[in-house]
Amino acid sequence: MARPLAAPRDAASHEGAGGPARRLRQAWRAYWERRHPRRERTPLTHANVYILPTRAGWVFGLTLVVLLLASINYQLNLGHLLTFLLLGSAGVSMHMTHRNLRGLALHLRPPRSVHAGQALALEAVLDNPDARARHGVGLRLRDATHRLAEETWCDVEPGGQTVVHLSLLTQRRGRLHVPTIEVSTRFPFGLFRAWAVWRPAGEVLVYPALEQPAPPLQSPGGEPGGAARPAGVAEDFDGVRDYRRGDPLRQIAWKKTSRTFEALGTLVSRDRETRSRRELWLDWAATAGLPTEARLSRLAAWAVAAERAGLTWGLRLPGTQLAPDGGDTHLARTLEALALWSGA
Amino acid sequence: MNRDGRRAGGRAADRQTDRHTDRNTDHAADRNTDRATRRATDGPAGRPVARPPADPPHRPLPSRTPMRAISAAAWRDVGRDGRDTLFLLGVLAFILAPHVSRLPLWCTGCAALALVWRAVLAWRQGPLPGRVLLALLLAAAVGLTLLTHGTLLGQGPGVTLIVALTALKTLELRARRDAFVIFFLGFFLVLTQFLYSQSLPTAVGMALAVWGLLTALVLAHLPVGRPPLRLAAGIAGRAALIALPIMVVLFVLFPRIGPLWGRPDDALATTGLSSRMRLGEVAELALDDSIAMRLRFPDGPPPQALYFRGPVLSRYDGRQWQVASPWQQALQAQQDANARGLGPGLRYEVTLEPTRLNTLPLLEATLEVQRIDGGPGGAHVAVPSGLTTRSLWWQLDQPVSERLRILARAWPAVRYGPTAETAAPGGELLELPERAHPGLRAWALDLKRQLGLTRRDADALAAAVLRHIRTQPFVYTLSPGTYEGDTLDEFWLQRRLGFCEHYAAAFVVAMRAMGVPARIVTGYQGAERNPVDDTWVVRNRDAHAWAEYWQPGTGWQRADPTAAVAPERVERGRSLRPAPGLVAGVLDAVNPGWVGSLRSYWEAVNNGWNQWVLNYSRSSQFNLLERLGVQSPDWVHLGYAVAGLLAATSLAGLGWAWWSRTPHDPWLLALERARLRVVRAGGHWPAHWPALTAAQALVQRHGAAARPLAEALQALDAQRYAAAVPAPSARRAARRRLARAAAALAADLRRQRTTPRTRARAA
Repeated sequence: MARPLAAPRDAASHEGAGGPARRLRQAWRAYWERRHPRRERTPLTHANVYILPTRAGWVFGLTLVVLLLASINYQLNLGHLLTFLLLGSAGVSMHMTHRNLRGLALHLRPPRSVHAGQALALEAVLDNPDARARHGVGLRLRDATHRLAEETWCDVEPGGQTVVHLSLLTQRRGRLHVPTIEVSTRFPFGLFRAWAVWRPAGEVLVYPALEQPAPPLQSPGGEPGGAARPAGVAEDFDGVRDYRRGDPLRQIAWKKTSRTFEALGTLVSRDRETRSRRELWLDWAATAGLPTEARLSRLAAWAVAAERAGLTWGLRLPGTQLAPDGGDTHLARTLEALALWSGA
Repeated sequence: MNRDGRRAGGRAADRQTDRHTDRNTDHAADRNTDRATRRATDGPAGRPVARPPADPPHRPLPSRTPMRAISAAAWRDVGRDGRDTLFLLGVLAFILAPHVSRLPLWCTGCAALALVWRAVLAWRQGPLPGRVLLALLLAAAVGLTLLTHGTLLGQGPGVTLIVALTALKTLELRARRDAFVIFFLGFFLVLTQFLYSQSLPTAVGMALAVWGLLTALVLAHLPVGRPPLRLAAGIAGRAALIALPIMVVLFVLFPRIGPLWGRPDDALATTGLSSRMRLGEVAELALDDSIAMRLRFPDGPPPQALYFRGPVLSRYDGRQWQVASPWQQALQAQQDANARGLGPGLRYEVTLEPTRLNTLPLLEATLEVQRIDGGPGGAHVAVPSGLTTRSLWWQLDQPVSERLRILARAWPAVRYGPTAETAAPGGELLELPERAHPGLRAWALDLKRQLGLTRRDADALAAAVLRHIRTQPFVYTLSPGTYEGDTLDEFWLQRRLGFCEHYAAAFVVAMRAMGVPARIVTGYQGAERNPVDDTWVVRNRDAHAWAEYWQPGTGWQRADPTAAVAPERVERGRSLRPAPGLVAGVLDAVNPGWVGSLRSYWEAVNNGWNQWVLNYSRSSQFNLLERLGVQSPDWVHLGYAVAGLLAATSLAGLGWAWWSRTPHDPWLLALERARLRVVRAGGHWPAHWPALTAAQALVQRHGAAARPLAEALQALDAQRYAAAVPAPSARRAARRRLARAAAALAADLRRQRTTPRTRARAA
């Protein structure tokens, strides 16, 4: 239903229809994605861990050749031994490098939605079921344009888990596929680099950016969709009632509770029903004159402000309407509607 | 390293975001604007993964603090990068240390200064010197090398340059890429050590150095936290240990090729024998305790006195003895052709240290050289064409520049053909300079007169001279003092102090004066048996000189006048040894046998090292192949062997990887097999069920038929998680029980499945 607003391929698809090279690249990409399906939990196996010598590895090879030539020319048997020891160690290190990734299992904790322009916190969990530690495992995001960023390094204890926090600056609202994450290692000698391409299955909703600073909730001209009360006005104390599940913490009347908790055995909340009898409508029409995204941003900012002020609000978008309500869940629903709105 | 780089670049600001980056941090500032910023945090165990973000502020100079303040805390304060850098510097210093005496003074000083400077910078976490300064230093190093050596090519200047480069490069040790250059230069430095010494201690030291370098390399690839050195050393050591078999196989089979380009015969000091003799030279040799050669006698112990024949000196000009002139040598070659050994030959094997001489000091009366291994320019399967013998003095046409192993056969005695056909040699062998040694010559003529006509044959004359030495107060000493005037006259008639050269020379002069052809033979005499590996060791201090005279009818006869004065020098092969050093003296005082036996062990080990490692050559490879059953092996066979083994190793690696891709835990395997059995028979048992869940679900679904299987699963599970590890037999039994129960259930399920169908068909 929504445009794949921040999907990685979006940028690439604008580059115009191309010749055979481009088609080849597309075919390759299709193959690549078939080969690395998006998965909840990705175990690293022979099938998806790749390994190649690093530049340092090639230079090391060259060093070995020179060492061998010198040993031959000067007839140094110890030189031969040295060369072959280093060669063998490099070969062993290749297996160690590959093994450092193989057997790990990766999954992503469900990320929390953020507003466009904010950093999306990704928590990648590396699970090491084996009895040997993994050292120097690096994670980095692989961008749409494959611009490679720096790795975040971690170790994984034997039989343990490590959480690596990656963060990604979101740009556009909408559904966002968690981008491809590259897991790599050069341990132990840096002569080889093993890597795996991990495409987590997670999808995250990016809310519209919050307009900053947003105009006060009361719309100019006192239109029907405008707010009845400006944000930030001191709240009236309208009454109290027993705590109900889902009441936000700040709605709890702590002073009152401290006095009555022993008697009532429950917390006391401020009664919002009595306080926000007047309903607030966040209306698409009230933001006329702005570009679409800016209008959505303003509505999102209003919704957040309304929730912060403890109001109840409804949302009117062309083709969508949310009945007035309050609370976190309603805010999430509102923002989701705004995030996924794709025009009337 | 990263931190230093950042400091040097003056970019402290990006320290937070970029802490764990691998790349050269010079670009970190640019990358900082990247869309993605991230950090690593703790695992669930709470182990801090990220390095503490606070960098210690610029601390006061440690040199200003008292020494006791530099404690463990200060060491911790150095920071992880500082510690890694100091470790690498330590390893480099260790590698460079043996070079100190071989390098020009400026180079040693420069290297030491650079390493210390870098260490201080690492300790203080100070900024590195700028590139301009480094470029100037580099230019200076190259210039000085040119000045010192006159060239940049060759061994000496090469080593100097590598040392200077490595030391300077440490001052540029910022990013990991620079560290790689250091590592690779470090491996070169290790190799340069072998140009000077390939002894066992050098090998052990350099093995440690390689371990250190690999450890530093591992440290550079442990980006998280402050990994203990022990961890890195363990990882590096394990990699090297696993690599050992590969190393051995390649070492054994990699085809040995001769030198590729001009072989640098940078002369090392030569020890041993030379083709001329002046009185006094052997005295210097006698103090040289190094090993000249080792012998083995496969057919049994050697005869009492071992004489190893070196240059035969017959030309004498009054001061110096020299090798015979060419035409005289030709005559002697004819005599050699007539030489016949008496009795059965004695086979023996000599391992000759590189003497840089053409001479092969073989046992006297060696008439046959069967084989030489590891000769110059490669191996010799058979006797090389360059081998010649003159007066039974064996020579190669090239200097011996590497260790040789020689198989030869000697005879107890030699006869030079029937008397009638053998002309008495003359010429040079009788010549004496006009005015030399008048006293000695007069004495000799006097002796001959005394003996009378009947006993004038050479044997009798020689015996008389030897008797004279024995009966007169002659003294054998290594330090006879200097003789003024006519050395031999003074020695023979007055002072009577001398060593083998004096006695041999005087003997030969006396014999010639009496008209008997005589010559001096130099070589080694005596050998020490090493009881550990049953080899006989000949040292350079065993150098000796003796004489030969011509006895008509038999030919050349050996006469060792030294034996007449100091028989123990000859019989027991005990040369005079200077007083032992303090430690050896104390040890000897405690237990007289210790020093000797320690020395024997050490020499046995060293001999093994020489035989198996240093002496390993192309012919050894071919021998090995022959023993493995390859007929007339050559290069191609070696190539096949290497390629085959490499392929086998790769396949083994591949197989191991393949094997490790499936679960091979016997418990999991047993479980999986049981599961597959049930599933194939139509049962429901998803792979992700834990054993106990499966037990429960199977009983629920299949009722009593699944009960044995459930019990087997429970038993297996209980075993798996038991506090004490059950015996292997019990574990095997539990696995078998599971397999049987699964098979039973599967059979039951099949029966159930087929029964309704057959019934339906029957209906």
